[in-house]
Amino acid sequence: MPLSQQHTLLQELESIHQAMDAPLDPTTHDLLHQAAQLEKWPIAQLISIFERNNTESLIKRHAITRYMDTHPDLFGKQACIFGVTGTPGAGKSSLIGELCLSLLEQQPDISIAVLAIDPSSQSSGGALLGDRTRTQFPVNNKQVFFRSQASHLDLGGMGKATFHVMRLLRKFFDVVMIETVGIGQSEIEVQRLSDHTMLVMQPLAGDQVQFMKAGIMEVPDTFVINKCDEDALAKKSRHLLKASLKLAQIHLSGDEAEQAIFMTSATQRKGIREVAEYLLKVCSVDRPDNFDEQEVYFRNKWIREAYGEFGLGVFEHFKDKAELSRGTFEEKELAYKQLMANFLTKLK
Amino acid sequence: MSSDKQAHKLYDKEGKAIKDRPWIFRTYAGHTNVWASNELYRSNLGKGQTGLSIALDLPTQCGYSSDHDIARPEIGKVGVPINSLDDMKVLFDQIPLDQMNTSMTINGTSMWLLALYVALAEEQGVDIADLKGTTQNDLIKEYLARGTYIFPPEDSIRLIVDMYEYCLHNIPSWNASNICSYHLQEAGATPVQELAFALTTAITILDAIRDRGCFNEEEFERCVGRISYFVNAGMRFVEEVCKMRAFCEMWDEITTERYGVKNPKYRRFRYGVQVNSLGLTEEQPENNAWRILIETLGVTLSRNARCRALQLPAWNEALSLPRPWDQQWSIRLQQILAYETDLLEYPDLFEGSHVVESKVNDLKEQAYAEINKILDMGGGVEAVKTGYMKTSLVTSQGERMTKLVNGEQVVVGKNKWTEGIESPLVKGSDGGIFMVDADAAQRTIDALNKTRSERDPARAEAALKRLAEEAAQGVNLMEASIECAKARVTTGEWSDTLRAAFGEFRPPTGVDGQALNIENDTLTAVRKKVETFIETHGYRPRIVVGKPGLDGHSNGAEMIAVAARHTGFDVIYFGIRLSAVDIVQSALEENVDVIGISLLSGSHNEITDQLFEELEKHGAREAIPVILGGIIPTPDFDALYDKGIKRIFTPKDFDLMSVMSEIIDVINEQKRA
Repeated sequence: MPLSQQHTLLQELESIHQAMDAPLDPTTHDLLHQAAQLEKWPIAQLISIFERNNTESLIKRHAITRYMDTHPDLFGKQACIFGVTGTPGAGKSSLIGELCLSLLEQQPDISIAVLAIDPSSQSSGGALLGDRTRTQFPVNNKQVFFRSQASHLDLGGMGKATFHVMRLLRKFFDVVMIETVGIGQSEIEVQRLSDHTMLVMQPLAGDQVQFMKAGIMEVPDTFVINKCDEDALAKKSRHLLKASLKLAQIHLSGDEAEQAIFMTSATQRKGIREVAEYLLKVCSVDRPDNFDEQEVYFRNKWIREAYGEFGLGVFEHFKDKAELSRGTFEEKELAYKQLMANFLTKLK
Repeated sequence: MSSDKQAHKLYDKEGKAIKDRPWIFRTYAGHTNVWASNELYRSNLGKGQTGLSIALDLPTQCGYSSDHDIARPEIGKVGVPINSLDDMKVLFDQIPLDQMNTSMTINGTSMWLLALYVALAEEQGVDIADLKGTTQNDLIKEYLARGTYIFPPEDSIRLIVDMYEYCLHNIPSWNASNICSYHLQEAGATPVQELAFALTTAITILDAIRDRGCFNEEEFERCVGRISYFVNAGMRFVEEVCKMRAFCEMWDEITTERYGVKNPKYRRFRYGVQVNSLGLTEEQPENNAWRILIETLGVTLSRNARCRALQLPAWNEALSLPRPWDQQWSIRLQQILAYETDLLEYPDLFEGSHVVESKVNDLKEQAYAEINKILDMGGGVEAVKTGYMKTSLVTSQGERMTKLVNGEQVVVGKNKWTEGIESPLVKGSDGGIFMVDADAAQRTIDALNKTRSERDPARAEAALKRLAEEAAQGVNLMEASIECAKARVTTGEWSDTLRAAFGEFRPPTGVDGQALNIENDTLTAVRKKVETFIETHGYRPRIVVGKPGLDGHSNGAEMIAVAARHTGFDVIYFGIRLSAVDIVQSALEENVDVIGISLLSGSHNEITDQLFEELEKHGAREAIPVILGGIIPTPDFDALYDKGIKRIFTPKDFDLMSVMSEIIDVINEQKRA
């Protein structure tokens, strides 16, 4: 890259830096306040800002985050985040739909957001987001919010923007459920983003167990054997799963182990209540705040995608610089970009 | 003397040369309200029509009374509304039930309509054993193509089996259900898929009947003999002749081998036909008259595989609902073919043809392979739940659309020879289309209210209670439904009671994982527009595609959804039977750039109003543009644009990539505004 262009880049980054000092614009300010009342369209518009990949959104994300951090009275929620994984066809969407209805029934003042991720097409980049078909939520009810997201060819199977959207949603809702595309490494990614992960399986599907044995997937917190339309089949599958876990020397956490395997049928609404009760229990226990770890993980992921291993090496070298760990994610991101730009300029 | 018989002649038992009796002439009819439809039926019967084919409106088909919110835009649009036994009385006024062969296009609520028909006969003192007719009642194709299902597959199959059980003992000449391949072809099925999916459906029903064990061997044979089919015939009429012959042979083989039916009479493939409406064009609509004639040949030429009953669409169906004159023109075609030509004087014309035999065997082989695949997957119900059949149909439809766009499949006036003199047929004062009288719906609602206020409330309540209890107990629900009918229970009440017992079902949409094979300059240009959009705005354009209202013909919406993804959109598609509220809510939650809705039932004006009202409520009317697709009559365009619709697409706009190009233009116009 010619030197002159490096200067332009540095100048551009500096102008972004300065733009970040500006206070929240009135439109976004209003959106935030409406979103705090769980108004659907404002929340949706904010999600779009957090999903978008351009400078304008970066600046806005920073301003919004800073505003939310300084107004904990309005944005003080810290949602319990459930990651729901499992192969396509296991019935994740239907199960989530029924679980949400059951959560609403058991805790009428609860607020829930669902973020459902579908794969993008390799050839066109577009995506068919069809998970809404499988949920039947009461309409115009502010307590349940449903949003679809395309994976945008991200290797992790999670939308690139999923992390950013979670930063937002966790401030508005009591519970957030992330539904993965259910293939590739999404299990690992979702585990980073969630407080608790559920693996949804079909009866007698030995393949997931094989995955675990091969160490491809990290162990979920809860297993749900869905589509248990027949009792005999359900029992057999449960037995098989337990035997396989034992064989693979996977130990579920302590005396919770018995509870951590559920049998459900979303279509027949069987076993849903038990899972919902369990989730509420999980929510009620104090959770360690894993947000810093998340940030580190997704920052490294972003650096690797943008600059490769070399970029990570540069970060490691300069990681003690204060600006790399100060302020919002966007400030840190920008600080790193500036560092890289400077570094490259000097190399010249 | 048999030695004198000639191979080209037909003889009766006495050896006298004869001519075949023609098939039953039908016209699919019913609209506005029971008074108007009764008049129409009596006039059609007077014109030489020999059977009734009742079209019911969408609320009746989906189990809603006319005064339900979702019903109001649809009352009397695609058929006649029936709310109670009082409506049935008017509909069949002066029509002798014991002499009629009545076919009802009814599925989700077919048990209810049969119960009403039986109750009407009983109240009129007609012996119900003399009733003849058909309730369509094929739910599998509803899940796959037509969309008027209500209950989950298992419960739907139970209702069908209940009806077979009841009919065999009480109305022996009634076809409790009609296995339909018609709608599968409309939804894109190839001949092989038509054969395979229809026969799989029949196997699913017969297996369920057999498993219930309600019949002895002799009764079961008769029950197999009651299975009848409703088939489609398209433009490739030679192949269609072969398809029909394949159907006959396969049914004979399946009933022999799988069900051990000994009496050949009960193994006969009995079918009625409506020829293809999908291939009818909006462009140069007069050409459709020829198409209808050619399609008719496919199901009449081969005597061994000739239809029992035939109904023809009208030449202008791609424009809107046909007028009585349009239907009369189609009836005339049947009469000319049956009475002016010598068709009915000959035995089968194709016996011994190597070409036909080879083609039939090829179709059979492929169809058997597909049937076995589905049975291995767990059968018809399972293939509905997993979406296997639906996905296959959407794939075929995508391939068909691709061929149309590429010009690989020629459709005269549509993608070839598109220039021509304008048809004088569409120049009448009404634009050559039928308009439903808007005030007629009120008369239906008034009658419904009158029934409610005059009935014995205790009897109605008791009848519904019995229905609910017997639904839970697994008792055959026909008797309870007949009592509901007599107690003046309404269509909505009967359906709601069973909804509470069984739940409602949403089948897979079939669009997941679909891809188009279109690669052309338009696509390249649209993808470029999408790329520019992404560079400018930092995200992919988002569209929500939905079908509001009760109309379940989802092909168009599915194709747009698949095409939108093909060009690089993120597409939110969530199926059929959505309210304006559902669609607006998803558009808001998903923060889309454009809303696309598809409507074929004629309710576009009312539903557009509902949609804009809902957008207005959320302050989004100016922010999210709305486009409309479907069967939209040209005279309605201006009013729809005035309401705020940005673009209207009709079957003329079959080039999906051009449609997408316009949609991205709409989004860009909005962004600039």
